[in-house]
Amino acid sequence: MQTLGNGLTVLVLENHKAPVATFNIFYKVGSRNEQFGRTGLSHLLEHMMFRGTKKLKPEEFSNIIQENGGMDNAFTTADFTDYFEVINRDHLDVPISLEADRMANFDPKGFDSEKAVVMEERRMRTEDNPADALAEIAQAQAFLAHPYHWPVIGWMHDIEGLTLNDVLAYHSVYYSPQNAVIVAVGDFDADKVLKQIGEDFGSIKNGPKPLPVTEIEPPQEGARQVMLRHAADVPAFAEAFHVPNFKDHNDAFALEVASEILSDGKSSRLYKSLVIDKRLAVDAEASYDMTSFDPGLFWVSAELRPGVKTSDALAEIDRQLQALRDTPVSADELRKAKNLEQADFVFSQDSIFREAMLLGLYQMLGDYRMVDQYLPSIEKVTAADIQRVARQYLVENNRTLGILIPTGVLPKGAGGGHPGGAVQHVALDEGALR
Amino acid sequence: MRAARSLAGLLVTAMFIALAATPSHALQIKRVTLNNGAILLVSEQHQLPMVTMSIAFDAGSRRDPAGKAGFASLTARCLTLGAGKLSADQFNQQVDFMGSSLSVDASEDFAEASFTSLKKYEPETLALLADVLQHPALHDDDILRKRAEVIAAIKAAEQQPGYVAGVAFRKQMFDDTPYGHDADGTTDSVSKLTPADVRDFYREYYKMGSAVIAVVGDVDTDQIKAALEKELAGPAGKVTPETEQTPPKVPPGVHLTIIDRNVAQANLIMGFPGMARSNPDYYRFQVMNYVLGGGGFASRLMAVVRSRAGLAYSISSQNEAGKFPGSIRIALQTKNRSANEAMKLILQQVNEIRDHPVSDAELASAKKFLIGSFPLKIDRQSAIAGYMLDIELYGLGLDYIDKYPGYINAVTTQQVQEVARKYLHPDAMIVVAVANQAEAAINAKALQEEAKHN
Repeated sequence: MQTLGNGLTVLVLENHKAPVATFNIFYKVGSRNEQFGRTGLSHLLEHMMFRGTKKLKPEEFSNIIQENGGMDNAFTTADFTDYFEVINRDHLDVPISLEADRMANFDPKGFDSEKAVVMEERRMRTEDNPADALAEIAQAQAFLAHPYHWPVIGWMHDIEGLTLNDVLAYHSVYYSPQNAVIVAVGDFDADKVLKQIGEDFGSIKNGPKPLPVTEIEPPQEGARQVMLRHAADVPAFAEAFHVPNFKDHNDAFALEVASEILSDGKSSRLYKSLVIDKRLAVDAEASYDMTSFDPGLFWVSAELRPGVKTSDALAEIDRQLQALRDTPVSADELRKAKNLEQADFVFSQDSIFREAMLLGLYQMLGDYRMVDQYLPSIEKVTAADIQRVARQYLVENNRTLGILIPTGVLPKGAGGGHPGGAVQHVALDEGALR
Repeated sequence: MRAARSLAGLLVTAMFIALAATPSHALQIKRVTLNNGAILLVSEQHQLPMVTMSIAFDAGSRRDPAGKAGFASLTARCLTLGAGKLSADQFNQQVDFMGSSLSVDASEDFAEASFTSLKKYEPETLALLADVLQHPALHDDDILRKRAEVIAAIKAAEQQPGYVAGVAFRKQMFDDTPYGHDADGTTDSVSKLTPADVRDFYREYYKMGSAVIAVVGDVDTDQIKAALEKELAGPAGKVTPETEQTPPKVPPGVHLTIIDRNVAQANLIMGFPGMARSNPDYYRFQVMNYVLGGGGFASRLMAVVRSRAGLAYSISSQNEAGKFPGSIRIALQTKNRSANEAMKLILQQVNEIRDHPVSDAELASAKKFLIGSFPLKIDRQSAIAGYMLDIELYGLGLDYIDKYPGYINAVTTQQVQEVARKYLHPDAMIVVAVANQAEAAINAKALQEEAKHN
């Protein structure tokens, strides 16, 4: 690891498994840094980063990467934005200089069409996706004061109102060397890569210092519930519980193992009870991410089988969480969960991209060496720890319940009957219409 | 804590298992025939203590008998519901306890039984897979339970406009031929399948004599060969290969299917009959398609429909080339009221690449990506296993990695235009739209006019 004079953190790791390399630049900015009325700005900026610099035309970035045998993309989360390239090892110099260029010389074109693209993305990911629409509204109900309240992609009307000036100003604050972490992993000589990164990024100047995110979500004092009527045929629900993040070390690892016990593998509790034994759901899942910058949510969700009553499935989830609170998990079950964690950890190293992601994420949280502590910390979790966090966090007063009420996928007035909707088949022979 | 590496003034986290400094990157693949007739391909990769195995059987959904769509897929899913002495629950418990993943799935051409495990659990995981393939329980009640689960999953999937569009497109393109249905089948077809059907399908198509086995990871070729000879000798016999399948044909005209749904976006698929993977046109088409809509942000469709017009988040053209001739699809999502405009832009691009040669720069750019990005396709175990199955199943040869640049470099501007004219026919085209038609007002007449424009 190296920190350049301008504050840019650089991590380089040789991995000679395959003749490829990945370059990642993480900016510590996400929807968490946004304001009411300006949501979606981090993500829109991510899109605009591909629309040109003082040197490059729109989309030229990706064209050059592809011509060099690479692929590139980017994604935005509530906490950070990651730009990455995976490329033939002989051409890693290309993304390094191009990423430096768009950090220093950002000058995008085509703002209006890109905004329209992002609105299409929202329609695709959220509006036409019942599970995502439900998670969005449940999360908004769980977080009232903290910026995790709004979705990463932003509310539709907010996106519509964003301007090019918003994007440029945001870039000048957050896309500075002092706010970024670079991670390169692959089949290269680390010395050479470090040297080039120093040359290309070393002279980039910092903008104004970003303001810290100071909002703290007040404690939840009682169950909350939100209903969403949405075009769908099958009911679904999602439960969200406020939980600590990695900063509360012991609880975080206990919650991680709890989520494994609930839903990793076909022998996991939720899958076995809701999907296999009681036939209530098509899928059931518990998920927890301890790496959120601020305390986040522990999710339990299910997509129900047609004809199943939401209340029946909810009651089963209640029983499962109650069991976790009431009875310590057996030694065997705990061992199984830890084995799953261990295997996943090794499997994840098979991808240099995942390797780079992990290093970058932990560096943003404070120190990439925390990665070393992951498995040892999992190993330390006891049955009593799991019972303790279940009793403290997975309880009704700390729960936000989102319920999807399906309103049907057929438009009003459409003839029903066909499972796929009303089908018209118009086969036109040549000349049939003039 | 482990072997030192070149550290170059940076700290290397100890958790990353040390990587042996193996300078040679040529993917070494060994190919042997087992006593039972199965072909075994092995790529030893000793950098990580893990193993991936994938076994392909000629048991894909194109084997589904008429009216029994979903047969192959249901059979594949039922095979892991208990095996040998283990009930379904005990089986899941054992797989999870080792942290392994193990599954059997059917796609159109093949069924694939595979696992990934830590090296230390490779023998036990292989033993479980061997039980699955030789002694599956296939109890009536387990099969009926799985059948109900599959039906429920299909109903849930039918809420996704993209899934509905894909199923309708398949039906329109291939009708009742083997590629004409989704591998999972329909709620209707699956509900008619019986436990006896599943057992019959298993007995007929899961034969080691026709199987191809790919093993990647921390193994020794001789040891894994010996283990497979011992553990996975059966089921003995061969499956009679099919040599022909009726290729799809689209009569002249624009064949439009509108599925009216309460959606924010129209999900559109426009398509033409394609080719088999073995067709020499495949590489020419690959270069043409990169320019048209396969090349991400380097493609014309992305430039015109997304970057310039802002009409879609994702748009691409794909060539689905399998054992037998498949289809070519252009797919996108756009807000309902932009559907006609987007399709008009697409047809203009299709006509453009038929009518005019691509530029030298575009040709060079496509070749550079297709050749240069090859290592990215084989950079992890699951990808390498898939690659090894492909080279065997589609007869590409062990030296495919060396020959591929030649196939691509040989493509000329003229050939690019020839394959565009040969395969892209706006005047004989299938269009599927899952859309809110009250807003989208998809205009068949305008489409027809645009199609005839050249």
